[in-house]
Amino acid sequence: MKKLLVNLLAVSMVFSLAACGGNDSKDKDPVDDTKQEEKETEKETEKETEKETEKETEKETEKETDAEVQNDEGSVFNIYAWNEEFKGFFEEYYEVPEGITVNWIITPSQDGAYQQKLDEALLNQETAADDDKVDLFLAEADYILKYTNSEYTQDVAPLGVTDFSTAYEYTVQAASDDNGVTKGVSFQCCPSALIYRRSIAQDVLGTDDPAEVQEKLDSWDKFEQVAGDAKDKGYLMTASFAETYRAFSNNVTSPWVDEENNLQFDQQILDWIDQTEEFIENDYTLTAGIWDDEKNNQMFEDGKTMCFFGPAWYYNFSMENAMDPEKGSYGDWAIIEGPQAHFWGGTWLLAPAGTDNPTMVADVMNTFINDEDVCSKLVSEQMQFSNNQVVNQKFGEDPEYGNEFLGGQNDTAVFVDLAKNIKFENQTIYDQLLNEGLQTAMQEYFRGSVDKDTALQNFYNYVNETYPAINTPS
Amino acid sequence: MNKLDERKRSGGKGVSYAKWGYIFIAPFFIAYITCTFIPQLLTIYNSFFMNYRDGLTQVGPKFVGLANYVKLFSRDNTGNIGILKYFGNTMILWLMGAIPQIIVALLLAVIFTNYRLRIKGQSFFKAVIYMPNLIMASAFSMLFFTIFSNVGPINQLLQQAGFLDKPFDFFSKTISVRTLIAFMNFLMWFGNTTIVLMAGIMGIDQALFEAAEIDGANALNVFFRVTLPLLTPILVYVIITALIGGLQMFDVPQILTLGQGMPDRTSMTMVMYLNNFLTTSKNYGMAGAVSVVLFIISGLLSLVVYRTLSRQR
Amino acid sequence: MTNTTIENNTASEAKSIGVRRFFAYLFLIIITILCLFSFYLLLINATRSNSQLQAGFTLLPGGNFIHNLKNAWNDASINIPRGLVNSFVVAALSAILATYFSALTAYGIHAYQFKLKKAAFTFIMAVMVIPPQVSAVGFVQLMYKLHLTNNFLPLILPGIASPIVFFYMKQYMESVLPLEMVEAARVDGSHEFATFNRIVLPILKPAIAVQMIFSFVASWNNYFIPALLLDKAHMKTVPIMIAQLRSADYSKFDMGKVYMFILLAILPVIVVYIFLSRSIIGGVTAGSVKG
Repeated sequence: MKKLLVNLLAVSMVFSLAACGGNDSKDKDPVDDTKQEEKETEKETEKETEKETEKETEKETEKETDAEVQNDEGSVFNIYAWNEEFKGFFEEYYEVPEGITVNWIITPSQDGAYQQKLDEALLNQETAADDDKVDLFLAEADYILKYTNSEYTQDVAPLGVTDFSTAYEYTVQAASDDNGVTKGVSFQCCPSALIYRRSIAQDVLGTDDPAEVQEKLDSWDKFEQVAGDAKDKGYLMTASFAETYRAFSNNVTSPWVDEENNLQFDQQILDWIDQTEEFIENDYTLTAGIWDDEKNNQMFEDGKTMCFFGPAWYYNFSMENAMDPEKGSYGDWAIIEGPQAHFWGGTWLLAPAGTDNPTMVADVMNTFINDEDVCSKLVSEQMQFSNNQVVNQKFGEDPEYGNEFLGGQNDTAVFVDLAKNIKFENQTIYDQLLNEGLQTAMQEYFRGSVDKDTALQNFYNYVNETYPAINTPS
Repeated sequence: MNKLDERKRSGGKGVSYAKWGYIFIAPFFIAYITCTFIPQLLTIYNSFFMNYRDGLTQVGPKFVGLANYVKLFSRDNTGNIGILKYFGNTMILWLMGAIPQIIVALLLAVIFTNYRLRIKGQSFFKAVIYMPNLIMASAFSMLFFTIFSNVGPINQLLQQAGFLDKPFDFFSKTISVRTLIAFMNFLMWFGNTTIVLMAGIMGIDQALFEAAEIDGANALNVFFRVTLPLLTPILVYVIITALIGGLQMFDVPQILTLGQGMPDRTSMTMVMYLNNFLTTSKNYGMAGAVSVVLFIISGLLSLVVYRTLSRQR
Repeated sequence: MTNTTIENNTASEAKSIGVRRFFAYLFLIIITILCLFSFYLLLINATRSNSQLQAGFTLLPGGNFIHNLKNAWNDASINIPRGLVNSFVVAALSAILATYFSALTAYGIHAYQFKLKKAAFTFIMAVMVIPPQVSAVGFVQLMYKLHLTNNFLPLILPGIASPIVFFYMKQYMESVLPLEMVEAARVDGSHEFATFNRIVLPILKPAIAVQMIFSFVASWNNYFIPALLLDKAHMKTVPIMIAQLRSADYSKFDMGKVYMFILLAILPVIVVYIFLSRSIIGGVTAGSVKG
C-alpha cells in the first residue's frame, strides 16, 4: 500500500510538473516559435546566399529597395496553402527580403478544410494583429471565384503587378472578378494531358510514338474501343473510376448551379457517368479514387494500367511511384492531348485585402510570372509548365530539350499546343466540394454498394449539408 | 432521521456546515453553467433560426420557427428520414461493440479474480488489455484504415495465402465497415471495462464465494447467483458509461470513413451528422436542431437510467 | 456421504479446474494477440520503405526505421513533437481538474446536509448521459465570441464539471468514507477545506488514480471539439494531426512515413504506460467499489 501511494504521488507529481511546464510553454511559445523560425530562415537565407553568390550582383538593387520598404511593412509574411507544392518552389527560387519571416499555414484541401480555414482567417483579417494577417493565399480554379468576387481580395495593379502580357489569358481571367479587376496570378499553367505507359501502348497499339498514339485515342469512341483491346491483352485502360472526370467536367456548357441556385447536371457529367458505368462493367478500370494507393501502385513497373490524366504538376505530385528508383517506371511514359482538351487545377496566388506586406506580395507575383530566369527553372528543373508564354515557347521549340521521365519527349511543346484550348468558364464557387461529393457518391455506385438512385440521393444529402444555399431535387 | 443527523452534525453548538456543501459543489455548477448549460441554451435558440454561410457571405440569422426540424424529419426521394437512419446506425454500432465488450470484460474479470484458477502473469495480461485504450482513437482508425485498405497488409496476407485472388474491399460493405468500427470500439474499451468490473468483484466479500462453494454451487452457479447480483451497481455504471460513449461515437467512424459513413451512409453516426453541418456550411441552425434531437434522446435515456438507479437504492 | 465420494469429488474438481485453467489461458492468449497484433504491424511497417510496403506483407522488419523517423520527425506541416506536448498539456490539466473538482463536488454532496443537496445530486445524475457534443454548437459560437479559439482553456476548463467522474467518486465515497472520520477531524479543529485536502483526498487516492487515467485518456483522445476550435499549426493536438493524414493531400506520402507518424503519436503514452502499468493497474484495482 505504501509503495502504491508513493507511485501514485510520483504519477501526480509528473502530471503536475508537466502541467506547470506546459503552462509556461503555452504562454511563451508564440514568441519562441517565431524566434526559432527566424533562426531557421536566417540559416536558410545564409545557405541560399552561399549558393547563389553569383547572382547576388544582379539582384542587389532589388534587395536594397526591399530593405528600405520593410521598415514600414510587416516582418511576418503569412502564406496560406493546402499543400507543400508551391512552398518548395518558393523556398528554392524566391529570395525573401532580409528581416522578413515567412510563415506557412498549410491545411489539406479535402472536405473543404482549407477553404474553411482560409475563410475564417479572411473574415477576421481586419481585427487580426499585423503579424497574424494573411499576406498571400493560394487558391484553386474550383473555388477561386469565391475569393476574387469578394471584398477580401484586392486589385494587384496598384501594388505593381501590371504586366500580364506573357501569362496565359485564362489564368488572368480566372484571377479576375466579374468587373475584370485582377486580384492575383497563377504560377503555373495547367493544360491536362493523357499520360500513357509507352511499353503498354507498344503492346496494345503497336506503337509508342505520341503522334500515332494520339491518332488512335483522339475521341472518346476510340478511347473506349482501345480500352477493350487493352483488356484483351490483360491491361487496364485507367486505374481509377474518376480518372477521366476532369476531361468531362472541364468541358461543361453549364455551371453546377443555375441562376436560381438549383443544382443541375451538365450533359458532360452525365456522359462521364455513362462512360464509367461501361468501364467498370467491363473491368477497364478500378474502383479506386484518383488519389488512392491502389491507383498509384499501378504506376510501378509491374503496373498494368495504360493511361493516366494530368497536367505537368501531376508528375511531381502524384507519380512518385513511377519515379521510384527500385520499382518505378521512369522513362516509360509519354504524353498526348487525348480525347478531349481540358485543364486541371493550377495554383493561383491571390492578394488578400489588408495585407501589411503589399510590396512583397507584388514581388512574389512578379517573380513567378515575369522573372524569366525563375520561370525557366520551373520548367527545366521542376518539370512544370510555367505561366510565361515566352519561356514555354523557348523550351517547346528547343530541339535539345526533352524530359527524361517521358523518354526524352518534349512535353513543353505538347503543353504549348494544349494551352491554346483552355477555357475558364461555367465555374461556380461550389465546384470543389460538388466535384468531390459527386465522385464520392458515385464511387459507391460503381463499387456496387448502392444503386444509382441511392447514390444520387446521397450526393443530394451531401450538398444539402455542405451548401444549404443550393436547391437539390429533394 | 435527517433532523437527528443534522443536530449531530452541527455538534450541538449550533454551527451549520450547510454552507460548505454549497461551497464545495459551487465550482462544478459554475463550470457546468458556463461551459455546458449556456452553450446548450444557445444551441436550442439557434435551432429556430436560419443561420449559415454561403461562400464568404453570412446568411441570417433569421427566425424560421420549426422549419429546421421539419427539414430534419422530412423524407428524401428514397423514402429515408436521415436523422432516424443515423440514430439507428449509432445504436447498432454501439450494441455491436458494447455487447462483446461487456461479456469479454466480465469473463476476464472473473478469470483474474478467481483465486482457484491462480492465473500466472496476471500483471502482464492486465497491462496488455488496457493498452489499446491508450492509442488515440484517431491513430487507431488511421491504422485500421491502412491495414484493411485494398492494398493493406490484411488483403496482402489473404492474397499471399491464396484465400483471395482479388482484394476484398472492406469499405464497400455495410457489414464489414460496421464490424470494423465495432471491433475497434470493443478493442479500445474492453480493458477499461475489465478493470472497473475487477474492482467491483474484489469489493465483494470473499466469504460469500467460499460459502457458496461449500454449499456445493458450481462455477456457473456462483457467477449467476452470487457474482452477478452483487455486481449489478457496477454493471450499471459500466452500461451508463458505455452508453454515453456510444451516443458520442464520432472519431473512429469519422476518420475510418473520411467522414462519409460509407457505404450508403450506413456507418454515419448522429455526431458525424452534426459535424457535417458544422464544417463548410457553418449551418448553426440545422446543427442546433440535430443537437436538440440528440439532447432529447439522451434525456430520455438518462430518465431510464435514473429510474433503474433509484430502484437499486 | 462417504470419504470416497469426497475424494472423487476433489479429484474431478481438480481435473475440472485444470480444464478451466487451460481455457482461461487460451482465452487470455487470444485476447493478448488481438491487443498486440496491431501494435506489431505498426512497428514492423514503420521500419519499411514505401516500395517494400507495397510489395507485400512480411512479419520481419525492414531497414528504413531511421529514414522514416527522420522524415516524419522533420515534417514541416505535421509537427508531431509539438502535437504531443500540446496533447499532454491539455490532457493532464483537464484530468487533474476533472478528478479534483469531481471529488470535491462528491464530498460536498456526500458529507454535508443542505437544502438543495438532493436536487443537486439529481441534476448531476440527469445530465450525466447527455453527450457534450449536444452543446457544441453554442459552445463553439461562444468561444468565437470570446476570442478563445486557438486557446487551450476551452478544452481544459469544462473538465471541472465531469458528471461521470463525480458519479464514480460518489459511489466510492459511500463505500470507503465513514463520516465519523470527518467528524473527528472537525473536533480536532480542522478547517473544512483542510479536512478535504488532507484527510479525504488521501483516502480517495485509488479512485483518483482510476479517474485520473480515464479522464486523461478521454481528453487525450478527444477530437471533436478540438478540431472545431484549434487551427493554428502550433496549437494542434495529436488527433487533429493524425486526422490530417487521412486526407488525400497526404496520399502522396510514402506509407512508411505515415506508419511512423502513427507510431510517434502513440509511443510516448505506451512507454510511460509500460513503466507505470504496475502502479496504474494496481491503483485501479485496489480501489474496489461497492455500489
